[in-house]
Amino acid sequence: MSITELPPNETKPLYERLSAAKKTKVVQALSQAIGEKYVLHHPYDLMLYEYDASIDRSTPDIVVIPANANEVSEIVKIARGNQVPVVPRGAGTGLSGGAIPVYGGIIVVFTRMNRILEVDYENHFAVIQPGLVNLHLSNALTPHGFYYVPDPSSQRSCTIGGNVGENAGGPHTLIYGVTTNHTLGLELVTPDGTIVEVGGAVQDHPGYDLTGLVIGSEGTLCIVTKIIVRIVPISEAVKTLVAVFDSMDDASNAVSEIIAGGIIPSAIEMMDQLLLQAVEADMHAGYPLDAAAVLLMEAEGLKEDVQVQVEQIVQISRKNHARTVRIAANETERQLLWAGRKNAFGAIGRISPEFYVQDGVVPRTRLPYVLRRIAEIGEQYDLRIGNVFHAGDGNLHPLILFDSQHPGEVARVRQAGHDILAVCAEVGGSITGEHGVGIEKQEEMALIFNEIDLKTMQQVREAWNPQQLFNPGKLFPIPGRCADVKQLDNAK
Amino acid sequence: MGEIETLTHTFQEFLPAVSIINDADELRNYGIDGLLPLMVSNPTTINEAAQVVSLVNKQDLTIMARGGGSQINLGGIPNRLDVMLDTRHLDQLLEHEAPDLTCHIEAGMTLAALQKQLAEKGQRLSLDPPNADQATLGGILSSNAYGPKRLRYGTARDLVIGLRVIQANGEITRSGGKVVKNVAGYDLNKLYIGSLGTLGIIVEANFKLHPIPQAERTMLLTYTNATDVMHSVIEIQNSLLIPSALELIDPKAANDLNDFFGIPLPSDGYTLAVNFEGSQAAIERQLEETELIARKHHVLIGDDIGDAAQDAFWEAIREHTQGTVTCKAAILVSQVAPYLQFVEQVCRRHELEASVIAHAGNGILYIDLRPGDATPRLVEAIIALRQRAHEARGSLIVECCPADLKRRISVWGLPGSDFFLMQRLKNQFDPKGTFVRGRFVGGL
Repeated sequence: MSITELPPNETKPLYERLSAAKKTKVVQALSQAIGEKYVLHHPYDLMLYEYDASIDRSTPDIVVIPANANEVSEIVKIARGNQVPVVPRGAGTGLSGGAIPVYGGIIVVFTRMNRILEVDYENHFAVIQPGLVNLHLSNALTPHGFYYVPDPSSQRSCTIGGNVGENAGGPHTLIYGVTTNHTLGLELVTPDGTIVEVGGAVQDHPGYDLTGLVIGSEGTLCIVTKIIVRIVPISEAVKTLVAVFDSMDDASNAVSEIIAGGIIPSAIEMMDQLLLQAVEADMHAGYPLDAAAVLLMEAEGLKEDVQVQVEQIVQISRKNHARTVRIAANETERQLLWAGRKNAFGAIGRISPEFYVQDGVVPRTRLPYVLRRIAEIGEQYDLRIGNVFHAGDGNLHPLILFDSQHPGEVARVRQAGHDILAVCAEVGGSITGEHGVGIEKQEEMALIFNEIDLKTMQQVREAWNPQQLFNPGKLFPIPGRCADVKQLDNAK
Repeated sequence: MGEIETLTHTFQEFLPAVSIINDADELRNYGIDGLLPLMVSNPTTINEAAQVVSLVNKQDLTIMARGGGSQINLGGIPNRLDVMLDTRHLDQLLEHEAPDLTCHIEAGMTLAALQKQLAEKGQRLSLDPPNADQATLGGILSSNAYGPKRLRYGTARDLVIGLRVIQANGEITRSGGKVVKNVAGYDLNKLYIGSLGTLGIIVEANFKLHPIPQAERTMLLTYTNATDVMHSVIEIQNSLLIPSALELIDPKAANDLNDFFGIPLPSDGYTLAVNFEGSQAAIERQLEETELIARKHHVLIGDDIGDAAQDAFWEAIREHTQGTVTCKAAILVSQVAPYLQFVEQVCRRHELEASVIAHAGNGILYIDLRPGDATPRLVEAIIALRQRAHEARGSLIVECCPADLKRRISVWGLPGSDFFLMQRLKNQFDPKGTFVRGRFVGGL
């Protein structure tokens, strides 16, 4: 996405870059373990793996493509023996730098571990490999009347292994929950190469909820090699609505009122004018170009309940001055509206060479205030900011548009992103709802957690991944870098 | 000076403001598996509670938290118990952000007290474990207690969005927050919930709430055998219907419900209770379709109940999951019927009686074994039932039993292959063993 290098790290690096001699040695050992064909180490091959969908990048030394958990375990043992860091990677669609190898080392890619191993329609679970693309699972289940709920916008390419790493959400998690609410068990490889299963297909397990702990740990605790997910029957009825507003305040008040009224639709998504224009230029999905904001909402469940919900949603939207409220007439229209929403990030390419997306969460009642503040921040830094987000969860996705060819713009973008998260924290929210902390929000962790909170969390990494063999240098503030942010703060 | 006197002296010296109980007679109310604490501490603020933990930690003593005591006997016999921290004075509803459908509470509040306050704004916490009047939210969270409606709403792990927890050194930490979606840092909420106080003491929680449904009805269906019941359960779960609870009641349990709670259930068959919540129209249709499914699977009689009869029924179901010797098996839903047959066989072999209630849609069975004092036979039977649960990809724990039985059998079963990961966490979070050891899996 971008060409910005990582900011210089002032503290002593956790790992030194591999020397040529050591790299040759490790490549040899890995080739022996999993086959030469599946060990990439030429610069040309490695370039593909130096970035994800965030604005950071760093080149790995070696990329491995294992076929099974045993091979992952072998890779880990070799890495450990040679003190080389290991970063697991799904499809590289992550937005916070989770798959970026900060210190180089080995990237484990799961493209060969992409199978569905078992589906049990009586007991409502599926056992899958981490490289399976999210949408491929639902596609396989649909003929049987089932689906897998979490549906990140990148679901056509992102992997469920990556979803587990980030605890991914998506538009339809409002009522049904995110990845953690749909995962029953995992098979893991620990930093000493042990393969171990946690959780399982049944619904209770004596002991700590290790499955819950691993989900969202962003590859910093272990490497997941198998996932047991919950699958659910497809709902009887679905109705999709579009409500068009002439002001952002009206749209966000409608969201608050819908939730406060005890109506929990399966999705409430908001798009502002900038995004509508981008989406329409790209897709012609049928959204109005002159509206200030649009709510894309979906009611799902039994047809009687859907009917009632739709009536309530229409009524609340009108009360909050919706210009029009339209119900998708058929499945084609519905799919088109959703395609417009899910491709919104991509559509930005029509109006800006680059964008930087944030992922703050706020109490739903604070949306009007926070959206106004975001607009102010855009003005302050002279940056265009669009909004497309999961309004029902209060999960914002402000998109800051920029062009890294303009000198100084990247720094302004980073600072604007930081300020937006500070506003989210100020109203009692979170700095990330589904994209993860990764590299980009390490400092911002300190906006919502104090030193003791952070120390407590780091005890987990200390317990399981003490040398930071897996995904080093992520998730928690790095002392040296906090200084940079503070300096910028002072310069404002 | 005796142990109790020394301890009292220390507490009075360092924490004079915190009320304590050290009277031998009064301490008897705080027994656990026949073991009495040396002292009970009754902090009135979270900071006081943290100071108590810190003092205990510095003195190399041990501490465990206690709420209403409804689950106090869950788990193995404590290795050593010095101080019991009674959380019941930490009982404030700190915030009910009704328009956001969230709330923030102190953990010593009982579930019933919380529900009462939430109901004023038409909302509820969708957790229905037994003993709502007695059980505190802290206790419910640390034991991960749930009830029949887990089927639709999940467990505390699905409903908690934030926690404040006292660490072993007395520091107070926060995990999660007050918003409904949050992936910042490790999800420690999941780790604390169900850890039986071995990693920290939960003192505050933020929850996701639900609106109180417009209407609720329960259909009671009686069959001749468990196989037909479970065929119905599986068909209902694979249909468009959205039940809130699917409860199986075996003939002995039906008998108990009759005798102890005056719930008139046919005691010569297996009953399936199907609970629906939502709009009146949706419930009506779901009841009709449930009946059609039940008929297909040879139901004998069907009846539906609402209002007071319904409330009394579910109350009785929840309470019945707590017998003298109650095992909880978690297995695959498709294995429930064969497992029930196996339970009968085992009971015949060991001259025991079993009364079973199951969250059938979750594959969770509460097996009440009797007589509760037939220790050697109970040990044999529990080993056999546990073995079979393992074969069905599941597990069996002994939820309630006398201390005598706990000395003969592991309440949690042998730790699994992932136990070393749990141990490493415990060693990081509580290196000195400040939180009472011996109660949780593998003695954690």
